[in-house]
Amino acid sequence: MVTAHAAGQPAPALNQPVLELKGIGKEFGAIRALHGVDMRIFPGEVIGLMGDNGAGKSTLVKIIAGNFPPSHGEIRFAGETVHFARPIDARAVGIEVVYQDLALADNLTAAANVFLGRELKRKLGPFSLLDHKAMAARALELFGELRSETRPDDLVKQMSGGQRQAVAIARTRLSNARLVMMDEPTAAISVRQVEQVLGLIHRLKEQGVAVMLISHRMPDVFAVCDRVVVMRRGEKRADKAIGDTSPEEVTSLITGAKEAA
Amino acid sequence: MMKKELGLLLLLVVIFAITGAINPAFLSVVNLLNLANLIGLFGVFALGEGLVIITGGIDLSLGSMFALLGVIFVDLLTTYQVPWPLALLLVLLGGLALGGIQGFLITRLKMQPFIVTLCGLLIYRGAARYYTSDSTRGFGYGDEAATLSNIASGNVAGIPNTFIFLIILALILGVLLHRSVYGRWLYAVGKNEEAARFSGINTNIVIATAYIISGGLAGVSTVMFVFYTNSVSPSSFGNFYELYAIAAAVLGGCSLRGGEGSILGIVLGTALLQVLQNLVNILGIPNSLNFAVMGTVILIGVLADQQLQARRRRKAALAGLARTAPKPTLAQGKPTTAPRGAAALSAATDEQT
Repeated sequence: MVTAHAAGQPAPALNQPVLELKGIGKEFGAIRALHGVDMRIFPGEVIGLMGDNGAGKSTLVKIIAGNFPPSHGEIRFAGETVHFARPIDARAVGIEVVYQDLALADNLTAAANVFLGRELKRKLGPFSLLDHKAMAARALELFGELRSETRPDDLVKQMSGGQRQAVAIARTRLSNARLVMMDEPTAAISVRQVEQVLGLIHRLKEQGVAVMLISHRMPDVFAVCDRVVVMRRGEKRADKAIGDTSPEEVTSLITGAKEAA
Repeated sequence: MMKKELGLLLLLVVIFAITGAINPAFLSVVNLLNLANLIGLFGVFALGEGLVIITGGIDLSLGSMFALLGVIFVDLLTTYQVPWPLALLLVLLGGLALGGIQGFLITRLKMQPFIVTLCGLLIYRGAARYYTSDSTRGFGYGDEAATLSNIASGNVAGIPNTFIFLIILALILGVLLHRSVYGRWLYAVGKNEEAARFSGINTNIVIATAYIISGGLAGVSTVMFVFYTNSVSPSSFGNFYELYAIAAAVLGGCSLRGGEGSILGIVLGTALLQVLQNLVNILGIPNSLNFAVMGTVILIGVLADQQLQARRRRKAALAGLARTAPKPTLAQGKPTTAPRGAAALSAATDEQT
């Protein structure tokens, strides 16, 4: 009985959304930045979040990441209602953000960046020293999982844009994040590296991580996303499976040529 | 990173050899021990300055701190007859406190390090001069602190204690900077404070701690300088010494933009500066050219280092190109990735429905 019950448990968990937003709204004084946004993201799903500048994308991302609380609405993470006071609270439940300007320290190695703020230590009497070997080994493992050729002991300043993304994404794997939000990961890099980054998103998906891709680049969104959500003037105007829409439709939704879909 | 230190060491050896060949007195035991003493005196606070510079900040207040803490220290020992261990403790705490105040102003009140420590330079100096009415403080004929004096300015088997202190402190700080989590965070904060903050590091505490350590080391240096000169004249004691520290740190590979530098580099930088000053005397170069020689060497040193780095970067970039060039042919997956994405999509939606 008990075993059957335990075995039955994971199945509903898989069908449960990682993140569920209900009626999220945000006002800054008299300015209404977001209004009534509902959204669900499932494990292993890649969602493209699109919209023009000022459409409310970053406000939404910042609310999910715990930078500030919503004025209205409810955030549910893995079925539980959550309130994030600080970004660290969001990270604690398993939400990671990969920032556009890649929050990496150039002067440190790839491994050091992966473990920044979460360094592995080994005790030496009363002192705890950095465990360089263990960190390099674990980082190599993570890069292997992502099928990236990044070497743990290389300095980040010597790396290409794609490799930097790999380092930033490896950080999220280290904490076993269940939802990774990526802010314009393909904006400032070459075509070949865009491919690498899209590959990285596939790896995350394979491992059951939900990914929210905030991007202006239509081809990238259509290459990796399962679903696209379009924001306009603080409201969600569309939420469609990629197969049911086209770049043209999404464009008209973003610009407002088409009101909603 | 080690290349820089190796280059510095090589330069030091070459200067030693050349100067020694021109004037053998340079390599005499007396001169070498004198040199070691000066390196010890000027090295201790340069270590603290180096930490601050690695955070991307600067500490201009050190010399004035020596004056203020120095007059208080001498007064405690002579006028108030405070037992020396207590006086020593008070001076060290005073240094830590001054560093703490500066760290607070810089991290909590978001003031620029240059401004905060420049004002520190002016305020501490002024306070020291006012406190003493601009009169020199020194020890009388009594031996108020003979024990401490022996510790601070004595020697072990001829090796000056100041030099031994420098080595001990450098080892401790070397472990702190290069082997501990704090050191790792210091480098991260110095290069990209935002990234460090996003990583969950309390950047304010990391930065403030650097200023506090620098203040504490200034306290140690104060005591060593007081027993080196045996008197403190508040208007000139420690004047410009912060610039020696900054010069040593920069010569040793610290970048004023933060995030770069090493303890070994700072020690070697200090040594090089002191050797240069000594060499000016030994070779009979007019003493008035002292600063000019120092300035020229720093300028050439930093310039050479930059050029070498730029060359290395160009080489690395070329090597990187050669390494990554064959990749696109291997991963000729652009057409295949799109269907793969679509295939994955249909699979995913099947699961959900």
